[in-house]
Amino acid sequence: LAPWIPVVGLEIHAQISSNSKLFSGSQVQFAAPPNSLVSFFDASLPGTLPVLNRRCVEAAVMTGLALNCHINKKSLFDRKHYFYADLPAGYQITQQRVPIAVNGSLSYSLCIDNKMSQMVTKTVRIKQIQLEQDSGKSLHDDTRSQTLVDLNRAGVGLMELVMEPDMCCGEEAAAAVRELQLILQTLGSSQAVMAEGQLRVDANVSVHHPGEPYGVRTEVKNINSIRFLAKAIDYEIQRQIQELGNGGTILNETRAFDSKLGCTIPMRDKEGKQDYRFMPEPNLPPLILYDAKSLPANMNHQQVINIDWIHERLPDLPSVKREKLVEQYGILPEHSFTLL
Amino acid sequence: MRVLSLGRWLRAGRVPPRGRVRLNSGHRHSGHRPQAPPQGPAQVPLQVPLQQKVSVEVLDHLEHLALVDFRDSEGVERLQKAIQFADQLHEVNTDGVEPMDSVLEDRCLYLREDDVTEGNCTKELLENARETVEEYFVAPPGNIPLLKLEEQNTYLQGSK
Repeated sequence: LAPWIPVVGLEIHAQISSNSKLFSGSQVQFAAPPNSLVSFFDASLPGTLPVLNRRCVEAAVMTGLALNCHINKKSLFDRKHYFYADLPAGYQITQQRVPIAVNGSLSYSLCIDNKMSQMVTKTVRIKQIQLEQDSGKSLHDDTRSQTLVDLNRAGVGLMELVMEPDMCCGEEAAAAVRELQLILQTLGSSQAVMAEGQLRVDANVSVHHPGEPYGVRTEVKNINSIRFLAKAIDYEIQRQIQELGNGGTILNETRAFDSKLGCTIPMRDKEGKQDYRFMPEPNLPPLILYDAKSLPANMNHQQVINIDWIHERLPDLPSVKREKLVEQYGILPEHSFTLL
Repeated sequence: MRVLSLGRWLRAGRVPPRGRVRLNSGHRHSGHRPQAPPQGPAQVPLQVPLQQKVSVEVLDHLEHLALVDFRDSEGVERLQKAIQFADQLHEVNTDGVEPMDSVLEDRCLYLREDDVTEGNCTKELLENARETVEEYFVAPPGNIPLLKLEEQNTYLQGSK
C-alpha cells in the first residue's frame, strides 16, 4: 500500500496594528459600538477616494524584512471583485499583481518527541506579503433569516502572508504560526491575537503518493486558534486519505472547520469557482519605496519610506533573543523556547 | 438586486462613439480653421471582423458575475459590436512595450499620517439604509444566487 504524502500550505491574514485604517482616517478598535468607526469611504459612499496610511506600509516592510523577503520598491494596488453584504464597495483593494514583499522564509522549531528534549529547525517559504483591506463583519441571524452588518472592521489594514506548501501536518503548521505570531508581536506590526480576529489562518490541504503530482486541494477556513489549526489540518488529511482509499475523489472546495465536532464540512455559500475580475486600482498610483541609495534629495521626508532606515531599526527577533539567552546564560536551547 | 448599468448602456443603443482621431485639433498656428464636428457616424478606420460569437455560457457567466441583464437579442448584439470595436486594439503592435495600467503612474502616491480623523457618524450612515436593527445594517442571510440558466425564463435560456 503506497504511503500518502500530505501537503499543507497556509494563507494568513494579520491585522496591522495601527491607529487608523489602511485607506481612511477612521479608528481601528476591537469591540466598539456597531458602525461607529466607519468613514464615508469605508461605507463606500460615492465620491470617496482611498488615501494610503503610511504606518501600514511601514508595518508591511518591517514584516517583509523580518521574514527575509525581497521588498518590491514598486508595488501596485488592484481591485478584487465579489459581492457580499460586508463588502459595500463590491470589491476589495489588494495587491495581486505586484505585492509589497516576495520570496521570504520563516524558520520555526519542532520537538521531535513530546518531551522537548530534541528540537529540529524547519523552514517554510513565504511566497509573498501583500497589503489589503479587511471586510466588515456579518452576524448571521438564522431565526429571522437575515444578516446584520457592522462595518467597523471594513477597511482595516491587513497583511496577507502566502506560504508555499512546504509543510506536511498540523503540528508543523501550528509551530510555524506560533513563531510568526511571536515575530509579529515583537515587531509590533500586528498584535496577532487569533481570538480577536487579528490573525486569521486558512489552510490548503492535499495528499498524494510519492512520485505522483499533487492531489486536489481543499481550503479549510473558520479556524479560531492554533490548537484548532492543528486539529483541522490533521482531520482534513485523514478525511482525504480515507475518501481516496475508498475510491472516492476530493473536490476542490472550501470547507469550514467545526470546532465542536472536530471535523470539516463543506461551506454552502461558495457558488462554484469565483471570478474576481482583477483590475488595477485606478485611484492609486504605484507605491514607491526607497533605500539609502535611491533616496530622492528634494522630497518631503514624510512622503518617503526608506527600507534601509526601517531595517536598521528592526528589534531582535525571537530566534535571535533565544540565541542570546543560550549564549549569555548557558541554558539549553529547548529551555530558550520555553522562555520565548 | 440587479445592477443594470452595463446592460442598460448597451440596450440604450449607445455604442461607443466611432470617429477618426483629429490630428490637427491641437494646432492653432497651422493656419487651419477648426472644422465643424462631424454630423453623423464617421467611418471606422479599421474594420475587424468579429472573431467568434459570444457563447450563451459566457453570457450567462457574465450575467452572474456582474449582475447584468442582457434581456434580449439587441442587448447581446450591442455586446458583440462593443467587443468588435475593442478588438481594433489588437491591430497595434505592442511588442517590447511595457503595458500602462494607470495614467497616474508618474504621480506620487500620497502617504497619510496614522491619525484618527474620521468616523463617529453612525446616525448619518444608517440613514441610507432601508432597514436597520440596533445600529446594524440588515442584509439577506447570504448571497441569493441567480437562478441557473436552465431554471430561468429569460432570453438567454430561450436562445440555448
